[in-house]
Amino acid sequence: MSAPARLRMEAIDKRFGATIALDHAELELGAGELHALLGENGAGKTTLMNVLSGLYRADGGRVWIDGRPVDIHEPRDAIRHRIGMVHQHFELIGALSALENVIVGDEGGGLQLRRDRQARAVAELARRFGFELDLRARVASLSMADRQKVEIVKAIYRGVDVLILDEPTTVLTPGEADVLLGTLRTMAAQGLSVVFISHKIAEVLGHSDRVTVMRAGRTVATVRTSATGERELVEMMIGERLVRTAAPPPRAADDTALLRVEDVNVAGRGAAASVDGARFSVGRGEVVGLAGVDGNGQRELVEAIVGLRRTTAGRIEVGGRDVTSAAVGERLARGLTYIPEDRMGDGVMPSLSVAENLVVGLHRFVMHGGFAYRPAAIRARAVAPIADYKIPADAATPVGVLSGGNIQKVLVARALAIAGHGPTKLVVAHNPTRGLDVRTTEFVSGCLVGVTRAGGGVLLVSSDLDELMQLSHRLLVIFRGRIVADIRAGEFDAYRIGRLMTGGSI
Amino acid sequence: MTALARRRLADATKYVVAAAVATVAGALVIALMGGNVLSAYRSFLWSSLGTAGGFAQTLNKMCPLLLGGLAVGMARRAGYFNIGVDGQIYAGAIAATGAALALERATTPALAVLVVAVGVIGGGLFAAIPGALRAWWSVNEIFVTVMLNFVAAFLTEYLTTGPWNDVMAGEAITRLIPDAATLPMLSVRAGSHVGIFIALAMAGVVWLLIERTRWGFEVRALGDNARAARVAGIPTARITFAVLIASGALAGLAGAIEVTALHHRLILGLTPGYGVMAILIAVLGQSQPAGILVVSFAMAVLLVGSDSLQRSIGLPASAALVFQALIVLSVLFVDARRAVRPS
Amino acid sequence: MTLFVDPELLRLMLTMAAPLVLAGLGELIMERSGLLNVGVEGMMAVAAACAFLTMLKTGSLTVAAATAVVAGIALALLLALYAVALASSQLTVGLSIFVLGTGLASLLYRVVIGVTTVTPTTRTLPSVAIPGLAGLPFFGTVLFTQNALVYLALLLVPALAGFFVLTPLGLRLRAAGENPRALDTVGVDVRALRYGAAAAGGALIGLAGAYLPLAVTGAYSDGMIGGRGWLSLMVVIFGRWQPGWALVGAVLFAYTEALQFKLALVTKAIPPQVLLMLPYVVAIVVLVRLYRGAEPPRALGQPYRRESRV
Repeated sequence: MSAPARLRMEAIDKRFGATIALDHAELELGAGELHALLGENGAGKTTLMNVLSGLYRADGGRVWIDGRPVDIHEPRDAIRHRIGMVHQHFELIGALSALENVIVGDEGGGLQLRRDRQARAVAELARRFGFELDLRARVASLSMADRQKVEIVKAIYRGVDVLILDEPTTVLTPGEADVLLGTLRTMAAQGLSVVFISHKIAEVLGHSDRVTVMRAGRTVATVRTSATGERELVEMMIGERLVRTAAPPPRAADDTALLRVEDVNVAGRGAAASVDGARFSVGRGEVVGLAGVDGNGQRELVEAIVGLRRTTAGRIEVGGRDVTSAAVGERLARGLTYIPEDRMGDGVMPSLSVAENLVVGLHRFVMHGGFAYRPAAIRARAVAPIADYKIPADAATPVGVLSGGNIQKVLVARALAIAGHGPTKLVVAHNPTRGLDVRTTEFVSGCLVGVTRAGGGVLLVSSDLDELMQLSHRLLVIFRGRIVADIRAGEFDAYRIGRLMTGGSI
Repeated sequence: MTALARRRLADATKYVVAAAVATVAGALVIALMGGNVLSAYRSFLWSSLGTAGGFAQTLNKMCPLLLGGLAVGMARRAGYFNIGVDGQIYAGAIAATGAALALERATTPALAVLVVAVGVIGGGLFAAIPGALRAWWSVNEIFVTVMLNFVAAFLTEYLTTGPWNDVMAGEAITRLIPDAATLPMLSVRAGSHVGIFIALAMAGVVWLLIERTRWGFEVRALGDNARAARVAGIPTARITFAVLIASGALAGLAGAIEVTALHHRLILGLTPGYGVMAILIAVLGQSQPAGILVVSFAMAVLLVGSDSLQRSIGLPASAALVFQALIVLSVLFVDARRAVRPS
Repeated sequence: MTLFVDPELLRLMLTMAAPLVLAGLGELIMERSGLLNVGVEGMMAVAAACAFLTMLKTGSLTVAAATAVVAGIALALLLALYAVALASSQLTVGLSIFVLGTGLASLLYRVVIGVTTVTPTTRTLPSVAIPGLAGLPFFGTVLFTQNALVYLALLLVPALAGFFVLTPLGLRLRAAGENPRALDTVGVDVRALRYGAAAAGGALIGLAGAYLPLAVTGAYSDGMIGGRGWLSLMVVIFGRWQPGWALVGAVLFAYTEALQFKLALVTKAIPPQVLLMLPYVVAIVVLVRLYRGAEPPRALGQPYRRESRV
C-alpha cells in the first residue's frame, strides 16, 4: 500500500493501578478493509478499542488518522474524528425508544425535539445497510439482534469512517452471525474501515481481510487472513499449542435422575410466562447443556431450579426429593449448587476475604454452636482450595481485588465443596467460562467434567454453543420459555441448533 | 512499610484532617460570635474533661450516643440505614416509663431490670415495623423510620402532656417513676450513672455477635452483597427483620436508661437529636464497635463542651450538629481522593 | 360529611401542597438525572432560615425567596460535587447534608436573632385572586385565590412534563439517569448534565423551604419543615418519577394535613397529637401499597466512573 493507512495506533500503553492492560500495543487499518482483532479474553482487545473510542485515556503512544497525529481524550473527540464503536455490552437505554437511543446527544438542535424529521433520517440510514427497524419500539422489548442493529445505526448516524464492533456475534445465533458479518463486509465495500473484536478463530478466518493478534496487552502480529491458518493463529494467541482437553466421559447406562424438572412454569412480565412447561432431567454422570439466546427464559428457569424464584406450576426434584417450594438453603443442603452468571453481582461478597467467600453457603453445615465463627478455622479451611485451584491470593485477601478468572475459581471451588457435602451432587452453571482466558476456561470445564466423573450431574446453561457441544452429553434448546429440543451428543449440528434457538423448526 | 500499616496510617490521617477541619471551623464560629478562641477552647475541654461533674456529664451523654451509634452501625453492617433511632429511643422510653408507672406498687426486687427490659422490647417492637416492611415487602427503611420518628415524638408529647403528666412539675413532663425502678448512680456527687457501663458492655456484645457468631457472618455477607447472600442460601428476609429489631432494641435500651438512670421520668426532648448524631457516629466509626466507641466519646465531649460555650458566648447547641456534618464531609472527601490515587 | 370536601379545606390543601410539589419536582429533576438526594429536609431547613432572616432584614419577599433559592442551589451542588466528582456514597453524603442543613439553619437563626422573649414575625405572601376565575363557585375559592407560589408550583408540573418529553435537554437528562455510559459514548457531558440538574432541583427545593416562613407562618422555628423534605422523596416514588403523578401524591399528603388541621378545630374528642401523627402514618401506608412496581431510573444513586472496567 502506497497511501498512508487510514488509521494507525502506535505504542499504546494503558495501566489500571498496578495492572498493565496495554503494553506498546499497535494497530493499523486501511480504508475499505474488514479487519479482525483476535485474542483470548483478557488480551487487551477491548481496552485498545476503548482507547480509540475515547472511553479510556492512554498513558502513552499516539494515534494517527490519514497520516496526521490526533488527540483522543474523550468520546466526543473520537466522534469528531469519525470513529464509532458498538460495545459488547450494549450501551442502550431500555426505557427509551430505538429512535431516542440513536439520536440522543445529536438531536438536531433547537429547543424542541423534532422526532419525525429525525426518524426519517435514521430510517434512511438503516435502509442503506439493509436493516429493518421499528424506531418507535422501546429498546427493552427488542431482541438482542435488533438491539445490536440499534447500536450499529447509533454509531453510523454520527458519520463514521471507522467502525469498531466488540465481540458482535456473542449474542447472536450462528445464522444471525452470518448475516451480521455479511453486512460488515458490505460496509467495508462501501469504503468504511471495519474492525471487529473476536476470540473465535473460525469466524475470523471466514470473514476478514487481515487479522491482528493480541496477547497479554501486546500486539503479536498482523497478517493477511488468506495467508494464515488456525494452528498459526492459536499459537500467536496463547503462545503455545493447546488442545482442548475437557470432554465428557462416556456415560454409563444409569437411570438415576439427580434433577427432575416436570412441567415447570415461571411467571414473567405481564401475561406471558417466562418459562412454560419445562420438562427434563439430569442423570448421574451426565452433563446436560441448555442452549438459547439470552433472554429466552434460561435465567428464570435456572433461578427457579436453584430456589431464587418461585414457580407457578410444576415440580422440581433433587435426588428424588421434592424441592419445589424449598428455600435456597434447603436445596444447598441436598447438594444442589449454583455457579451464577454474574459473578460480581450474584456470586461473591467483594469486601469479605477469600476464605469467607469459600465458606459462605457451606457455613451452615460447618459452623456449629455458639460463637461458631472462628477466623482461624475458616482460614485453615481455605488453604486446600487455594492450593488446588491455584488461586494467587492469601486466605485473608478481600476477594474484590482478584481478577475475574480467579473470582470464578473461588465460585467454582465453593460450588463443588457444597455439592460434595450433600447427598446429591448437582451443579447448575450459568455461563461459567464467560470472559475467562483459555487456561482458566479449560480448568473450569475440567472441574465440571470432574463432577460427573465423581457421580454427580451438571446442568450447563451457556450462550457459547461451541462450549456446549464440546461438553454436553445431551443438549436442550430453550426458546420463548419452552424446551423445544433434546438432542444427544453425536447429533449436534450448530446451524440446526441455531435455528431452533430462534424459533425455526427442525 | 507493609500495605496494612500504610492503610492504617491513611485512615489515621483521615481523622486528623477531619479533626483539623472541625477545630478550624469551630474557631471561626467562636470568633464570629465575638469570643476569644483560645479561652473558649480551654473552657470547652475543661468543662467536659477537667472537672468531676463535667466528666460525669460526658459519660452520661456518651451512653445514649454509644448505644445509638451501635444501633445504626449494626444495621449498616447488614446494609441498612436506620434513621429512626430517635423514634426508637422514645419508644423504649415510653415502654419503660409505662412499665414503671404500672408497677408503681410492686415490690419486685429487680424492678429496674424489668423496666429496662421492657424498654428494650419496646424499642425492638417499634423497629419491627420498618424491619418487616423491608424484609418482606422491600419497602425502603429510610423513609419508614423517619416517619415513625415523628409518630413516636407525638406520642411522647401526648403522654407527657396528657395521661402521665405531672401537673405540679410542668408542661411536658411525666410523674416520677418509683425509686425501685431507677438505676443506681456511679458517683452521686459527680452525677454519673451506671448507664455507661451497660453501654460499654453492649459494645462488646455487639462485637461478639457480629464478628464471632454464624448469625453475624450472615449479617456481614448480606451487607456486602445481598443478592449473593441469597444465592448462598442465607435467609435474607429473616436476617433483615432480626437486625432491624436488634438495632431498635439497642436504641430502646438507650431510651430506657435515660428514663431510669438520668431523668427518672419521661420528658419531651428526652433525645435532643441523639438519633441523628448516631448516624454520623456510625459513619465515622465505620460501623465497627471500637470506632463507634471512640467517636461517641468524642461526640459526648463535643456536646458537653459546647454546652459550656453556649453559656459563655451564646453558641447554640445546633452548632454541634454542624461540626459533626462537616467532619463527615471532610472524611468523605479524603476517602474519595485516596480512592482516585491508588496506593 | 361535607367537612371532607369543604372548599375551604380543599383550598388549604392546595396551599399546603405547594411546598411538597416544589420540593418533589426539585427532587424529581435530580433523581431523573441519576442523583439521589436524601438531604432535602436539611436543604429546606437552611432555605427557610435564610428566607426568614432575609425577609426580616430587608422586608422584601422577592429578595428573601432569592436567598433561599441560592441556599438550595449551594447545598445541592455540594451533594453533586461529592456524587459526581468524588463518586462518594450518595446516601451518606445526603444524610450529612441533612444534618448539616438542620444544624446550620438553627445556628444561623440563633446567631442573627440571639435570645429574645418575643418571636419575630414578618408579613406573608398574600393570596392573589385571579380576576374573573376567582368568582367561580367552588373552584374559585379552591383554585383561583391562592398565593403566587402555589400558582407557580401548579404551572411547573405540566412545564416539567413537557420538558422531559419534548426537548433535547430533557431527553439527555432522562438518559443520564438510566445509562450514563451510553450518553458518555455519544459525547454528551454527563457531569455537566448532573450538575445542572442539581442546580435546578436545588433551586426548587430552596423555594419549597422558603415557602413555609414566607407564605404560611411568617416566622421561623427549628423543625418547622416537619418531615416535608422526607415526604418529597415519597412524592417522587408515588409519582413514579413523573411530574403529573407526583402532583397527585403531593396533593394527597396535603389533604391529610389540611384535614388533620380542620379536625383539630372541630372536635376535641381526639387528642391533638394523634391528629398530628396522621399524615405520617398515612404516608407510610401509602408507600407500602405503592412500593411494588415502582421502577426508579436505572442509574439512580450509582456513581458514574468512566474508566471502571465493565
